[in-house]
Amino acid sequence: MTWLKLVEGYMPMQMITELAICILVFSIINYSLKRAGMGLPKFWAGIFVWCFVNLFYLKYRIYPPIPFSVRAIYGTVAACGIFMWVSGSQQEWEEFKRPIINVLDAKTGMTKFIRTALLVLLPIGLWGFAYNSFLPSFDEPIELRTVHPAPPATTKVHGKTYVLQTAANPYRINPEGKYDQAYSNAHIVSQDMGRLMKDVNNPEDNPWDPNAEGYIKHVREGGEIFFQNCHFCHGDNLNGRGLWAFAFNPIPANFTDAGTIAQLQETFVFWRVAKGGIGLPGEGFPWASVMPPWEQHLTVDEIWKVIMFEYWHTGYYPRTWE
Amino acid sequence: MGRLFNQMTRGKKKLFAVSALMVMGCLLLLPIFLSITAVAGGGGAPAGGPPPEVVAAQKAEGEEGEAEKVEMGRDVYYKTEGPAIGMPAPVTEDNETFYPRYNFESRVLLWVANQQHLYYGSFVLAVPIFCMCIEFAGMVSKDKAMAKKYDQLAYDFIKISLTAYSLTAILGGILIFTFLTLYPAFFGYLSSIFRPVMHIYALTFVAESATLYIYYYGWDKMREGVLKWVHLSMSVILNVIGTVLMFLANSWIAFMMSPAGVDEQGRYLGNIWHVLHTALWNPLNVHRILGNMAFGGGVVAAYAAYRFLSSKTDEERAHYDWMGYIAMSLGVAFLIPLPFAGYWLMREVYAYRQQMGITLMGGLLAWLFIIQATMIGILFLTTNYYLWQALGRMTGGERFQKYIKYLVFILVVGLLVFITPHTIVMTPAELKAMGGQQHPVLGNYGVMSAKNGGINAIIMTTVLSFIWYQRGNRVPTVSWAKFGNIFMGCFFLIGQLNNIWLACYGYFIPANVRIGLSVPQVAGTLSCLLLMTPLNLAMLKNGRQLGPIRWGQIPPRSQYAIIMLATAFTWMMGLMGYIRSSVRLFWHVNEVMRDNSPWAYTHTIGFAANVISFNVLFFWISIMFVFWLGTLGAKKVPVPSPAGQPVPSPQSATGH
Repeated sequence: MTWLKLVEGYMPMQMITELAICILVFSIINYSLKRAGMGLPKFWAGIFVWCFVNLFYLKYRIYPPIPFSVRAIYGTVAACGIFMWVSGSQQEWEEFKRPIINVLDAKTGMTKFIRTALLVLLPIGLWGFAYNSFLPSFDEPIELRTVHPAPPATTKVHGKTYVLQTAANPYRINPEGKYDQAYSNAHIVSQDMGRLMKDVNNPEDNPWDPNAEGYIKHVREGGEIFFQNCHFCHGDNLNGRGLWAFAFNPIPANFTDAGTIAQLQETFVFWRVAKGGIGLPGEGFPWASVMPPWEQHLTVDEIWKVIMFEYWHTGYYPRTWE
Repeated sequence: MGRLFNQMTRGKKKLFAVSALMVMGCLLLLPIFLSITAVAGGGGAPAGGPPPEVVAAQKAEGEEGEAEKVEMGRDVYYKTEGPAIGMPAPVTEDNETFYPRYNFESRVLLWVANQQHLYYGSFVLAVPIFCMCIEFAGMVSKDKAMAKKYDQLAYDFIKISLTAYSLTAILGGILIFTFLTLYPAFFGYLSSIFRPVMHIYALTFVAESATLYIYYYGWDKMREGVLKWVHLSMSVILNVIGTVLMFLANSWIAFMMSPAGVDEQGRYLGNIWHVLHTALWNPLNVHRILGNMAFGGGVVAAYAAYRFLSSKTDEERAHYDWMGYIAMSLGVAFLIPLPFAGYWLMREVYAYRQQMGITLMGGLLAWLFIIQATMIGILFLTTNYYLWQALGRMTGGERFQKYIKYLVFILVVGLLVFITPHTIVMTPAELKAMGGQQHPVLGNYGVMSAKNGGINAIIMTTVLSFIWYQRGNRVPTVSWAKFGNIFMGCFFLIGQLNNIWLACYGYFIPANVRIGLSVPQVAGTLSCLLLMTPLNLAMLKNGRQLGPIRWGQIPPRSQYAIIMLATAFTWMMGLMGYIRSSVRLFWHVNEVMRDNSPWAYTHTIGFAANVISFNVLFFWISIMFVFWLGTLGAKKVPVPSPAGQPVPSPQSATGH
């Protein structure tokens, strides 16, 4: 279903809205058919809704494909929801059960046939399921990776110890030269899908402006460092799809995703950049990261600047606790 | 004259009874007063340190100018200076001296003992609170028949709790023996720090037992007039003591997670209040009170459901249907604020140690939180389902049943968002096909902003279901009914829209502001609960009744829903207990005493889930035994009175 686009930035709500519209349309059609005396029996209506949501919508509409574990969770919850719907009142429950009871009672030729067919097919199906599950699998095993392991309380970079809970980026400053997160937050790029600069004519917003000073100048310097060192993996749009990205498994972090740097304190990113994959703690099993420990290649100032650029470019704010 | 004399004698008896009870109450509360005095005074005997006479001698010596001999330490949490009078935390090694063992993992043995004690402890602390509420409801009820029903119900509740109380004490003993035999070094250290508190705890337990027995066995003696109020007051005392008991026990686990009152080496610094009042003590207290209540309600409701399903007569079914409804309502009333209390606890965890918070919700234990979210979802969905089923036993309930499908949709979508994992389990091939660790669509559901929206949507829908239930067989007849209905409809609509809007808006603002958004979201949900429920009741006052509630005429599905609710509570308690405990990772006492046993690692999710399931199963089998014991007393056949003798007046309570 590529003709109907999932619009970046609106996708989560778009998915829920589409599902709501589909269910509503189904309800209206079923209601009209019922009025005409041709309504879909509850049993089939329930099965239809479940199949539509799980076997069609979640599988073919949402792209990229949803991993099976999540579809299994969704399928189970949807089945519970459908059970709650069809058994909400005793009358509806009776209506839902009727085809099942009819088949089990087998009073007509058709129901007798279905019952017999089920008695034959069910064991065959179960046998097939068991056979498949015993077949050897050559797939790589599933690894439950801890994407954001807990950071240490302190980290030592270039001989200096940083307390992660209290340290601050020295370049996140206002024109007076004081640490000011609100000021830098106000001068990041727009957060919508285009990620545009707020005002290209304003030296406080445009890092390429020759008159840019202070915070925004440091952002430019951070950008230079990023494009000299990081963009090969993390991509020139910071979305984790650089030239080398697909040589790695998993591919590098996508900073434009709301679940990565937007969730983290700036000092967490500082620690991860400085220590790299090799510095992941025990909790970071299975340590699937090839990021180099950048403290071996960059100065502390360069690390802070590149982090600031990442937040500026993605339009996200580093997490703070105050 | 004779009548006057009799009245005076009766009056004197009552006065004597009241005075005696007051004296008894004061005696029972003595340990609490003692504990308060001890706490205020910084704790009589210094824990882990020398006896008082030695301290006094040291003081005297200090006066003579030798005070510099007392080494000072700095509190790891409060950062205050104090004399290091306790022993340092033992540095253990992996050997039989520090960790005596069987051919089995000691940690799992302790886990099971602890969890079972906690289950029963929670149950016996929660049930008296219900009894107090129900007994009070019976006393203020103007309807005599209802008053009697409430009284009987409260009695039924406490009867179940009494047998469970003995089991709690037995399990407490088993727990202490397990600690002493398998973790002697750690328990020795903990008891040296908490020495005065542990004694107060034991005394408080004695007070709790005595009060409970008086409350239970005095039920019939104190069933009229002033004595009934005295009886109710006993339940208040009982609950105060029970709560203090729980707070004291909470202080130990809070200390293990966020120690205070000791220095870096774990030496006690002489201020017992600091040891008690750690960073996480109060959030844990609040969370546990609410959790106990929800759990207790669930267990009693499950008991009623079990009795309902095994009932032979309509009367029995009607009684247990009603009992299940009351217990479930009380449980759910405490379930609703529980997520907010949990939120506060997590906030304090983050404030105490960022690493701890990330390990819990973003790192190693994050997947367990997804399981927890699923359990919370099950609780709310089951509650809604029960209420919809209950509509069926009311004439007029069918008016609302046709709209259930819309509520189902909101609940299911809310739950799907709430349980979508941030870190998805997937094969490497799926990971590659997805193009990264986060899914561009579903990844957005994995963060807190969306999850807050999801759970608030679910809770708001639950409130709506409850309002429909209240209206089941009644129609408002107040002159402003139409306006009231429109107002309520708009209120819910705006509440939901506000919730969804804030959930989306959270993606576009800094994290610290986003955390603050939970306040208006919660405020919207609580407004629906606290404003709309009374408004609905006001509208229904003197409303037209469409028919009576046909107690007992409810599908068995509803009772299975109650049993599922109770099981989900139990499973979730086990899960959260495991999470809370395992967040210390390889520490007995966080950053103070290291766990050097061979089991100082985090279990796999599968293993943890199996142990939790075992605990749940064990608890339910044992509580079924308790339920069965409860039925034994009720089966007593009254002895027919011999002809010619007066028949005694019926007793309110049975099965003494």
